[in-house]
Amino acid sequence: MKPDQTDELIARAIAALPYRRSPEGFGARVMAGIAAVAPQPWYAGLLKTAGLTLTAWVSALAFVSARILYANLGELAALAIQPGGFSRALAFTAARAALLLSKLAAAASFASEMLSAASAWLPAWYEIGFAVLFCSAAIAALSKSARPVRQGI
Amino acid sequence: MPEAEKELVLRCLGGDTSAFAGILDIYQDRIYSFALRLLKDPVAAEEAAQEAFVKAFRGLSSYNSAYPFSSWLFRVAHNACMDALRAGNKTVSLDTEDFPDLPDRSAGVELKVEDSIASERIEAMLASLPPLYSEVLLLAYKENMGSSEIARVLGAPEGTVKARLFRGRELMKVKLYREAGATF
Repeated sequence: MKPDQTDELIARAIAALPYRRSPEGFGARVMAGIAAVAPQPWYAGLLKTAGLTLTAWVSALAFVSARILYANLGELAALAIQPGGFSRALAFTAARAALLLSKLAAAASFASEMLSAASAWLPAWYEIGFAVLFCSAAIAALSKSARPVRQGI
Repeated sequence: MPEAEKELVLRCLGGDTSAFAGILDIYQDRIYSFALRLLKDPVAAEEAAQEAFVKAFRGLSSYNSAYPFSSWLFRVAHNACMDALRAGNKTVSLDTEDFPDLPDRSAGVELKVEDSIASERIEAMLASLPPLYSEVLLLAYKENMGSSEIARVLGAPEGTVKARLFRGRELMKVKLYREAGATF
């Protein structure tokens, strides 16, 4: 037998091998595995938002901390080399951080006041909700009645 | 890719988990057989095939529809099987291939290989080959994939695939000739 023929024979023999049947309940187990990993859309969105918010906050905090340290590096170094200076440097940093936090709190309070002033002109949340529901129902009813009749061919 | 299969993939991508049952119906025996022939252990094969399907579902968004779905799925299955082989401390030399020495066959030697080979024999021969070779032979002949498609499945260059195919065939021939009682 020529080598080419043997190649063909091997190819044919492998192609003719039957597929083995997967074990009983294999499909059900896979689907159960999939159901366990398939994320709920709202849940995944919520987690993602929470993660992003947390990351943003941590980044802001790290940036502010680094900025405090950088801005006061000279004073901190001078304090640190004195006897008992390390605790004084820490207290100094804490005081600076507290000052910055109070500024941030003031800014947040200002923003909140501005927001409440702007929203004072808006109706109550339940009134807005009711109006949205009413408008949606009206639009749905109108679009249903305006739908063209399907032509039978 | 067949239309029905394409539609199932699209439905899965659209968030319809139940459509994956259709994909499972089409491929479960093929993927399980592939894993079983590589791992040679029904329990390990079932685990690897199951893992492959779950990973495929999870990573379905990364599937590029320009290529056949089957080769993408077989790539996921190949990775699951390689992980299982590594976990079982079985040697899978992927970086440096140790090509076994093949005996020289002098031309014109009369060989007593039958015109057809019983499936049990070919199955046993495939099982005795290193997974690197049995895998390419299965993909090429059982799954009817070309060298480029196999290269995508294995994540290896096409030249490597061709070399493995050649070596795999040669090793099979050696076994066949040995069985037939031929002398080299």
